[in-house]
Amino acid sequence: MEKNQFSRRSFLEKTALIGAAGVVGMGVISSCNSKSKIVEYAFPPLLDKAPDGKKLRAGLVGCGNRGTGAALNFLAAGNDLELVALADVFEDKVWDCRTKLNKQRVEVPEANCFWGFDGYKSLLEVDLDIVILATPPHFRPEHFDACVQAKKHVFLEKPVCVDPVGARQIIATSKKAENIGLTVITGTQRRHQRDYLETYKQVASGAIGDIKAAKAWWLQTHVWFRTREEGWSDMEYMLRNWNNFNWLCGDHILDTHVHNIDIINWFVGKHPQEAIGFGGRQRRLTGDQYDFFSIDFEFGDGVFSHSMSRQIDDCANTLGERIIGTEGYTNCKNTIYNPDGSVKWRYDYPKNKDGRSTEVVKVSPYVQEHIHLVTSIRTNSPVVEAERTAISTLTAIMARTAAYTGQKVTWEDMLNSTEKLGPDKYEMGSVNMEFPVPIPGTQHKA
Amino acid sequence: MIDKTIKRKHYLLFIAGGLTAIFFLALFNKTIHYTSTNEFCASCHVHPHAEAEWKLSIHHNTPSGVSVNCVDCHLPPEDQQLRFVTRKAYHGMYDLYAYLTLDAEEIDWAEKRSREASKRFVYEDGCKKCHTNMFPSTLNALGAESHLKYLRDPDNTSCLQCHQGVGHYRGEIGLTLEAESNTGPQEIYTSLTEITKFSNFDEKLPGTSVSFNMLAIPGGQFNMGTPTSEPYRQIDEGPVREVVVDSFWIAEIEVSWNEYLAFFRATVSQGRKEAIETDEETDGISGATPPWGAPDQGWGKGTRPAITMTHLGAETYCRWLTSVTGRKYRLPTEAEWEYAARGGTNSPYFFDGSPNDFESDGFWNKLFGADTSVINSYAIYLENSPVKTQPPLRVQANPFGLKNMLGNVAEFCLDYYDPSVYAKYPKGVVSNPRGPRNGLEHVIRGGSYNNSAKDLRVGRRDFTKTKEWLVTDPQIPKSIWWYSDCKNVGFRVVCEYNPKQINSEKDKK
Repeated sequence: MEKNQFSRRSFLEKTALIGAAGVVGMGVISSCNSKSKIVEYAFPPLLDKAPDGKKLRAGLVGCGNRGTGAALNFLAAGNDLELVALADVFEDKVWDCRTKLNKQRVEVPEANCFWGFDGYKSLLEVDLDIVILATPPHFRPEHFDACVQAKKHVFLEKPVCVDPVGARQIIATSKKAENIGLTVITGTQRRHQRDYLETYKQVASGAIGDIKAAKAWWLQTHVWFRTREEGWSDMEYMLRNWNNFNWLCGDHILDTHVHNIDIINWFVGKHPQEAIGFGGRQRRLTGDQYDFFSIDFEFGDGVFSHSMSRQIDDCANTLGERIIGTEGYTNCKNTIYNPDGSVKWRYDYPKNKDGRSTEVVKVSPYVQEHIHLVTSIRTNSPVVEAERTAISTLTAIMARTAAYTGQKVTWEDMLNSTEKLGPDKYEMGSVNMEFPVPIPGTQHKA
Repeated sequence: MIDKTIKRKHYLLFIAGGLTAIFFLALFNKTIHYTSTNEFCASCHVHPHAEAEWKLSIHHNTPSGVSVNCVDCHLPPEDQQLRFVTRKAYHGMYDLYAYLTLDAEEIDWAEKRSREASKRFVYEDGCKKCHTNMFPSTLNALGAESHLKYLRDPDNTSCLQCHQGVGHYRGEIGLTLEAESNTGPQEIYTSLTEITKFSNFDEKLPGTSVSFNMLAIPGGQFNMGTPTSEPYRQIDEGPVREVVVDSFWIAEIEVSWNEYLAFFRATVSQGRKEAIETDEETDGISGATPPWGAPDQGWGKGTRPAITMTHLGAETYCRWLTSVTGRKYRLPTEAEWEYAARGGTNSPYFFDGSPNDFESDGFWNKLFGADTSVINSYAIYLENSPVKTQPPLRVQANPFGLKNMLGNVAEFCLDYYDPSVYAKYPKGVVSNPRGPRNGLEHVIRGGSYNNSAKDLRVGRRDFTKTKEWLVTDPQIPKSIWWYSDCKNVGFRVVCEYNPKQINSEKDKK
């Protein structure tokens, strides 16, 4: 009833939370291995629901399917969470999203709906605490910086940029956010997924010995595309078909495979030093991107990782990660194997009524990441994940560059690269850009 | 009793000493503070303009009213005590010296405003002591990029690089931000270098970013061949003959991968036709077939000498160069090569020393090792290569300005090889001698990364071994473009000098 009333329930929740928060940033000792090591990693508090606290108001920038989904994930994270504003480059996308949300009984005031390239600026003027950024990744660095300048907490969808300049922008803005105590969570849901986190604890405390090699793969059918409709300008066509243009999407090695790359960086404990790889295009109908990539990452000290990504129908399509250590291997997700292939450890999933494992974590990782966001804000323990996701995105960009150019590309190259994709200014109309498919052995002209 | 007095005296001494120490420390601290005031600085710093500029600067004229003093920037922060005191003493002594001996009018104040000079008397730790947050939320994209770069590479970046005039007002210059220059693709040459006289020139290949330096070698007479007195002399190196060669241009370095790949790209043929074809519709020259594997052996391309091409490949390269430039390029004759390599000298090498000094097979050198510092600086050879080619800039040039005549890779010559050709030259002083009219193998001159000192002698001769160098080529017929088993031979180009042609070109202008 009264907000300030101290209820027994909220007291219990808070105490539980302090316990959970205590885990964050502290060492976790695993007793599974005789050679147990202290794990240095900021584990997210794995609550089923964010604690109650002050009402948090969020705005969504990028009203496509993922944006709408992310907004609903946010609302499912706890009590007193509101979605109060929408922005997208296209007006129809905004109303579409509003209608979808309406069906879920989420009412966004009409006055808080904005569109156009500057729609996000208007959205930042609404009284908000959190901004969810789910536009095509090209716009993320600029939007993210504007949010931090406006002192908003942010949820950043992955990938967080499409080029090295953008990656460095994200890293700098990430430091700004840390300096003023904001929380920034990124859409790297595997890092908020309980089975992955438990497996990581096992590996980090020595369950497979020293990591020697890894592989990661995202092999799937072709993805969505839009052919050009009458009346669409160059810009409108590219934006509506953004997943097929490198300057907007960054190619699928960023768009999807960055998840796997992020896992390998996480488990190995660092980013690779260099990449050599290749890719090509055989089946795509629109845009300027590749259909497949095969990349060899060199981490130094003899550790390497093979990365594969492909979007072609009717092939051996599967996805996952594997990490090989001196004393076993893991699928990163839920199982540790002995060198002979026998199972050494398996994540204990919740059981259904019949006592069988559900094979699914208790809380959807897509909600779990928003629980993390809300919990961090409400317990005043800021977390900023943007830099590490920028590093994983830059790892994918290094791989893409290696494939596009045919050259060996180093991390140093990426830190010094002035590659910035996209047109000089954003406006609807014709765009003076060329879209040659990259040819290895030649300088890639973006 | 006595003991007691002594003890009391000790106490008194101890207390007196302690008090003195405290007194001096206090005085010292006071001195430090007194000598760190702006007034003290200004009392002998004869640069009233500096004070005036500081008063106008954003470090004094601040919106918040906080003023930053001389020592905050011009000395390390006080909490770095030892460094603070020593730097203070150093600057104090230097300023006193300057005050007493220099005329303020004559000091080059403008020079002191440069970024380089500022490193001598501005301490960046001072900046960072106050400016602790390098990423304020309002920082713009270029600022963020620059600060990240500073974090990454503090040795080659500095605060003052962008934030000039912040301590002393120099007008509204704002930030001198240097947006990282986009190095981008290299310049693509569109036209040839014009030659109007016999001098060095840079040959630029149109449509590429490849260029190489051609040095003008004035003709002259020299002794070709090795005197019988020279250690390690082989029978085919004599008899010594008096030879005259005409003027010519020769490349400063051995043909690099950059150069050879420009040719390869322009002329590459589809596959193994294995016959020299001329195609009138294109540029008339059909070049090498694509090689198998890595012809650079994985040692790197760029400016390293191109290797493993056959003698035919090298000659075809020259024909292509001729067609591209309109100038007559070819391999050097053996006489031209030796003339260029000797550079006017008459010793075993164009530098000082005998092969006996550098070879490690003699008794002395076996025991104590050879002093190879001289040969090291002039040639890439067995002892310093480590068994692979190296970029040409690592060595010093010979008296004509040519690099690696004796090392890095051995070099094809135009002539067929004949072990007794020197004796067959016409009697007397020979002018522009050539090898035999026909033959199977060509002359190779100069040592390589794979040779020891004795084989780097200027007079040493060698020749191609076509069959041996194709032993492991698994295809039949074997390649006419790439040797499968020879990695230490490359070549250098010569451009013929034709005074009439140059003069007629001059007239046209």
